[in-house]
Amino acid sequence: MTALVDVPASAQTATRPPTPRRRRGQTWPFVLLLLGPSAVLIVVFIVLPAVYGLWLSLTNTQLTGFAARDPKFVGLDNYSYLLTSADFLTSLGQTGTFLLFSAIIGQTVLGMVAAILLSRPWIRGKGFFGAAVLMPMVVPEVVASLTWASVLATSPEGTLNRLLNVFGGEPTAWLQTAPMLAIILVNIWRGLAFAMIMFQAALEDVPAELIEAARVDGATAVQVFRHVTLPLIRGPVFLYLLLTTISTVGVFGLVYFLTRGGPGGQTRIAAIYIYERALQFSQVGIGSAASIILLVIVLVLGAVYVRLAKVEV
Amino acid sequence: MKRTHVVAAFTATVVAAAGLTGCSSGGGGGGDGSDGPVTITIMETKQTNIDAIGKEIPGFEAEMAEQGKDIKVELIADVLTDEQFMTKMTQQLIAGQAPDVLDIGENMAISWSSAGYLAPLDDYLNEWDGWSHYYPAVKEAIVRQDGQVYSLPSGAGVLNLFYRKDVLTELGVDTSQPETWDDLISRLVEVKEKTGGTPIVVPAGTAWGGGTWGEGFMPLLGGTDTEFYDTESDMWDLESPGWLAVFELYDDLISNGLMPVEDLQNPNPWEPTKYEKFPEGEIQVAAQGTWGWKFDWGPDGATPIEGLEEKVSTWQFPGLRSGDQPYGWSSTGGGYAISEDSENKEAAWEFIKYLSTGEPLAEQLVASGAASARDDLNDVAPYSEEPQLLQAGEDLGESVFVVTGDGAAQVGQAVASATELILSGQADGQQAYDAFVKDATDLLGPGLVKE
Repeated sequence: MTALVDVPASAQTATRPPTPRRRRGQTWPFVLLLLGPSAVLIVVFIVLPAVYGLWLSLTNTQLTGFAARDPKFVGLDNYSYLLTSADFLTSLGQTGTFLLFSAIIGQTVLGMVAAILLSRPWIRGKGFFGAAVLMPMVVPEVVASLTWASVLATSPEGTLNRLLNVFGGEPTAWLQTAPMLAIILVNIWRGLAFAMIMFQAALEDVPAELIEAARVDGATAVQVFRHVTLPLIRGPVFLYLLLTTISTVGVFGLVYFLTRGGPGGQTRIAAIYIYERALQFSQVGIGSAASIILLVIVLVLGAVYVRLAKVEV
Repeated sequence: MKRTHVVAAFTATVVAAAGLTGCSSGGGGGGDGSDGPVTITIMETKQTNIDAIGKEIPGFEAEMAEQGKDIKVELIADVLTDEQFMTKMTQQLIAGQAPDVLDIGENMAISWSSAGYLAPLDDYLNEWDGWSHYYPAVKEAIVRQDGQVYSLPSGAGVLNLFYRKDVLTELGVDTSQPETWDDLISRLVEVKEKTGGTPIVVPAGTAWGGGTWGEGFMPLLGGTDTEFYDTESDMWDLESPGWLAVFELYDDLISNGLMPVEDLQNPNPWEPTKYEKFPEGEIQVAAQGTWGWKFDWGPDGATPIEGLEEKVSTWQFPGLRSGDQPYGWSSTGGGYAISEDSENKEAAWEFIKYLSTGEPLAEQLVASGAASARDDLNDVAPYSEEPQLLQAGEDLGESVFVVTGDGAAQVGQAVASATELILSGQADGQQAYDAFVKDATDLLGPGLVKE
């Protein structure tokens, strides 16, 4: 039998677990401490500029000329202009080509191949191979661009033309004859390492016993990859596709330094178009509207990836 | 207050303070009204000008000290192309972070003055005795649409065709002044047949930036058609006949294989053309301003040509359409300007006056290879010892110039894009002109295009 003893109120308080409301009261300073700085930075440097960009896209704001003195609200004029502009639609098409071949196909497929190769126990020289693939990611964008400008230079002194010369080939103006192919290859080269690292980490999480069981059941290497490995790493693959889509749509420096959108607008991807409109032609209103359209496209693509990543195979 | 509250408050304060510090403008010297020392800033983007201005600063500071004024000058040296400078400085002007004194080109003067980023100089000029020594044509060229002056020319130039006299003579090609472009093209074809190269470079395409308009297309256009800009209505006449004639000239030069189209489509196209092939004699003719004698090919220039005066000479631009006469194109529209947001306008004007007078001006002109825009400098050394610059100064009076206004930068962009189409083989002269009209109409908007 348990004796009932009167317990002082203070002691009851000390021993009773805190209520959720009280717990919240105790922890909010920590929450503020941890999240506050990030929230302030996000609001100041991302949310407010984005809202301001949205506002600018509804005006005829210019940076220079008399029009700069008195910007006016023009509603959706900039959007209707862009969506009927052959130049803008062409730049979106070129962005799609660049994204599809350099990021979605190039980086993802080659990154997967590199990750699978490096996960094989019989591969020799993994350190060298891994370092070679990682190097482009370490090099700053400007340095990478100028390096490739030198490699692809028109003159016989260009690195690629020198190599061609060894085999009797004529010097070729690569950035004029195949500009889109050139920037696609350079972007694959630059983004390969990130893909490889993500896929390597994902492959390490695939249980070895599942692979062995599939092999015991007679599955070929391709079948094991298609039906066992790939479904298990689907999440990281779609996460990578989401990240590379966002970063590739935003690629600017690489293309600007190599071709500046030329020749004849053949590599004028959306980022270059926006730069030209907003900063070179000083039409910030139209440039902002183009940015918002691009943002919406990326958000839709992101939503598709997220949706696909949750689908059962 | 609990410890966690204190930590949270401290963190928030630090973040806010850091943000405000980052957003605040850099401190300068005292304003015009202060008694303390004043520091003004000037930005230069060409190495030649950086060196030249750097040499003048001590003299200016000493002269101000003699007058009892404590004014210091900070030179911001940032080597940039004109296009990069314009993009960067536009942002700084909008943000109120621009240097006090700017050394700018004509397109910048037009674009920035109309936007209200530059301070009008009329009041200063009217009180300055040096203003009366500027050539009337120069004064006329720098008056903007609102009737005010926003920049004081640091020098003037005449654009012509520079040619390799030594190479053409050796090839047996006539070096007399060509009267028409047809005449010149036939000579260039002859050179091409003998050398297999591309004998002429005229700025074209988007990679050359503003130079395609200012140093290539506009001089060709203005020589055959002065009606393309209407100063009465301040509108661009895109149907003026000169536009098509110049696009067709570009087409002729390119379709005949006379221009280095690959070089012109690469970033920094002036490097392989003006800085490599012309000095080596592989390109024999180049559209070029007076500054070529110093800035580009002089002993201290970008790519010195040994024996420059013996090897290189100039032709005037030949006539393009029937009845046109050869001409030089004068370039006078830019110069020194003061940022509207400058807190030290008086001190900035003192510096501009110093740079625009006597020996300091003579030294700058010689360094950059510009002719004087003033009539009282021919006897001032070292300018007086430069025969080509003195000759350019004399030629200024007979040179052609068309005053333009708001929209010049946009027209320049449309011209660059249209000539790029010819360079890349996507359009002939007529198609490029059509594309230009569409682009320019689009960029200028209805208020700046003559119906």
